[in-house]
Amino acid sequence: MKLLKKTHRMFKLHRIFIKQDLKRLMEYKIDFLTGAVGMLLAQAINLFFLSIIFSQIPSLDGYTFEQIIFIYGFSLLPKAIDHLFFDNLWSIGYFIIRKGDFDKYLTRPVSTLFAVTVEKFQVDAFGELVVGIAFLCVSIPKVNLDVNLINILLFITAVFFATFIFTGIKLITSSIAFWTKRSGHITHMFYMVNDFAKYPTTIYNRVLSFIITFIIPFAFTAFFPASYFLGNGNALFNIGGTAVMAIVLMAVGIFVWNKGVSSYESAGS
Amino acid sequence: MRKILRIYKPFTHAGFLLAAQYRVNFIFFVFGDIIRCFISYFLWHAVFTSGGNNTFMGFSEVDMTVYIFISFLTGIVAYSDGSYIVGEEIRDGNIAMRLIKPIRFDLAFLFQELGERTVTAMIIFVPMMAGVEIYKFVVTGAVGFNIWCFLLYLVSLILSYLINFYFNVCYGYSAFVLKNLWGSNLLKECIVNFLSGGIVPLAFMPAGLGFVLNLLPFASLTYIPVMIYLGMYDVPTILMSLGLQVFWLVFFIFLQRIIWNACVRRMSVQGG
Amino acid sequence: MIYVENLRKEFKKVVKEPGLKGSIKSFFKPKNEIITAVDDISFHVPKGEILGFIGPNGAGKSTVIKMLTGILTPTSGKCEIGGQIPYKNRKNYVKEIGVVFGQRTQLWWDLALRETYTVLKEIYEVDDEQYKKRMAFLNEVLELDSFITSPVRTLSLGQRMRADIAASLLHSPKVLFLDEPTIGLDVVVKDNIRNAIKAINEEQQTTVILTTHDLQDVENLCDRIVMIDKGNKVFDGGIGELKSKYGQQRELKFVPTDFKAAESLDYKREFNLTDDDIIIENDGHIISVTFNSDKVSVEKMLSYTLSVTHVNDINVSDADIEEIIKDIYKSGVSPSA
Repeated sequence: MKLLKKTHRMFKLHRIFIKQDLKRLMEYKIDFLTGAVGMLLAQAINLFFLSIIFSQIPSLDGYTFEQIIFIYGFSLLPKAIDHLFFDNLWSIGYFIIRKGDFDKYLTRPVSTLFAVTVEKFQVDAFGELVVGIAFLCVSIPKVNLDVNLINILLFITAVFFATFIFTGIKLITSSIAFWTKRSGHITHMFYMVNDFAKYPTTIYNRVLSFIITFIIPFAFTAFFPASYFLGNGNALFNIGGTAVMAIVLMAVGIFVWNKGVSSYESAGS
Repeated sequence: MRKILRIYKPFTHAGFLLAAQYRVNFIFFVFGDIIRCFISYFLWHAVFTSGGNNTFMGFSEVDMTVYIFISFLTGIVAYSDGSYIVGEEIRDGNIAMRLIKPIRFDLAFLFQELGERTVTAMIIFVPMMAGVEIYKFVVTGAVGFNIWCFLLYLVSLILSYLINFYFNVCYGYSAFVLKNLWGSNLLKECIVNFLSGGIVPLAFMPAGLGFVLNLLPFASLTYIPVMIYLGMYDVPTILMSLGLQVFWLVFFIFLQRIIWNACVRRMSVQGG
Repeated sequence: MIYVENLRKEFKKVVKEPGLKGSIKSFFKPKNEIITAVDDISFHVPKGEILGFIGPNGAGKSTVIKMLTGILTPTSGKCEIGGQIPYKNRKNYVKEIGVVFGQRTQLWWDLALRETYTVLKEIYEVDDEQYKKRMAFLNEVLELDSFITSPVRTLSLGQRMRADIAASLLHSPKVLFLDEPTIGLDVVVKDNIRNAIKAINEEQQTTVILTTHDLQDVENLCDRIVMIDKGNKVFDGGIGELKSKYGQQRELKFVPTDFKAAESLDYKREFNLTDDDIIIENDGHIISVTFNSDKVSVEKMLSYTLSVTHVNDINVSDADIEEIIKDIYKSGVSPSA
């Protein structure tokens, strides 16, 4: 009962913050629109890039153009959702801690992690979200995908957990800033690895495959779950693996965060 | 000329120190971006394996790999913060202060950035060049390093930076119209990256489009220097391309002066 | 209400050697230096009091405030506020306090001021009726009405400070912490803020702890002051007490008609004083002599001075609190523990 009340309150706060952020957005309409167009264009250019490649070859490592588009589209969903809700973690690593602005979250009667993440609702992510959904819609009819209830549920589960792989990695690397004051560059370095997940892991050499499967497991954010829906692999590894990785990363992330908060040393005198 | 150097040398020095201070952050950052190069590399490797052909629209696998890494290197070394700096100056109103100082606005930034770029180049230029040449040697079994191509590449790279700097300064003036530059900078970077050949060589574009893109200033930023380095251009093409770069540099310098003078008029009439 | 006992905070500072080699070395084998920001501080504040917390820059004021607000965990010692320990069960504790850091804002920069309050209302779970009542009161004392619909980034510094104080009081905290609430404000605005703080203190017997560099704040607002220096408490008591303890200082100022004669004045020899008891300043026009009235009476000083030189103007004054504190900062009085 208490948990229910707590969750209810969290959602309510979230809604209020989202409303505030949309209002803020209206203050910078042109900026937002140009940014969104930029995001869309970036994805369109990537699509163009892939189409140039496939104009010369029939398939890439056994995957057709449509299959690659499906994996690519899938990769954008968890990325966009993480981007939408947990973008403020970047600011932790870049300036919140360095400037001593973390103080204010400690004087709020909610958990610090919640207070930080709820504060920013990153609408730019809609660009990725829209493109991701569009890619999926275009490719699904052409990749022999069984659209049934189980697959839909598995799909939602996979996207849900994949999101927390992104969040977990950002959480761990941002928390480093509690000790070093600044860790945005470290987050950036790890985050960039996510681009590997857009393509089949089979095109990489063994060392890289191993790294993106088990060390910085971005392969589970797109390639593994997506290829399950394309008829390769099994649900236990491809989707179960996504869930396990997400849970492990989030657990480590929350642990490191809490450790970090307790050794936070504010700034100035 | 000597006088200019004397006045603006402190800016270069300051830029150098500033960049040196943040070198650890920079190294991590570049490392993250190099990861992207490797993704492209593996992707193209798979393309060449899947296609079964030795060349892809005139590029061999070695050419493509060198293209990926050298275009990345060119992009990093010729990078300019001009639009952010100018945009911020305009937003917080500091630009009016520039009028009361006896130095040229653009040159002060340029010399400061030159200091920063020197640090950048010192950190990544040699290791990446060496890496690319070693790769070429391992794959082809022959030393493919051509000193003339390299020297001409350096000339073209410097022109590329200068064009990029003045282009970005011109772009930054749009802050007079837009409230916030974040979105438009994102859009700009995306377009420039594509048009300059940062994603695929312009040779892969459909013929008519490719021809136009070759003439636009963006080709001067990445594509021309990289093609020179690759040895893909013959002597007349090299001379023409360098000439084109010089043309665009002069063009943007003049454009910058025109916009700046208009701004000065506007500021002295409307008070900023 | 507030009990602080033997509070201590140490910071670890990584000592970095210069150069790339140094960075690598400190990465693998960091060398730490321990800095004691707060050494040993104890005090007690009863409910409803306004306590001024003063001390020079870097004395450890902010560190103490941060420990009392649960932002920092003390290295050792105890602090208890309203029966709660700040850094334990932080979420529960912060509902009871309000915090304003004068140099930072907790308002949402891009939004109309009112929006910040609606968000804070939810965060602190203030119910609708209470919220209405509270806003009415805060409006009255802080006069928010004229700018409540403006975006926060357009507010003047004084308006922003008023808005920030209101934000920290929305949930009717029992204790209010103000870290330099009047920094950078003009005299009129400062006065408004002081009156507001007084009104807030009287309304619900809210305990207020404030740090400041402005001694007018102290004189006008505080029932009591705690002065710290180098992490230790050097004074704890009322303003009157401070004046009577350190306030034997008097200042004699005069404009001599004949400067040569005035320069032959030798107070030290005449009254057998040491450097601690007397400070003479001469700007070539006015001579000012600060002396300890316990050692030599005002009357003797005057008659000696007038016996040596004629004056155009002469005046003796009490040292004001600013002078006293400057004196304590400078001479670094030993802890009065």
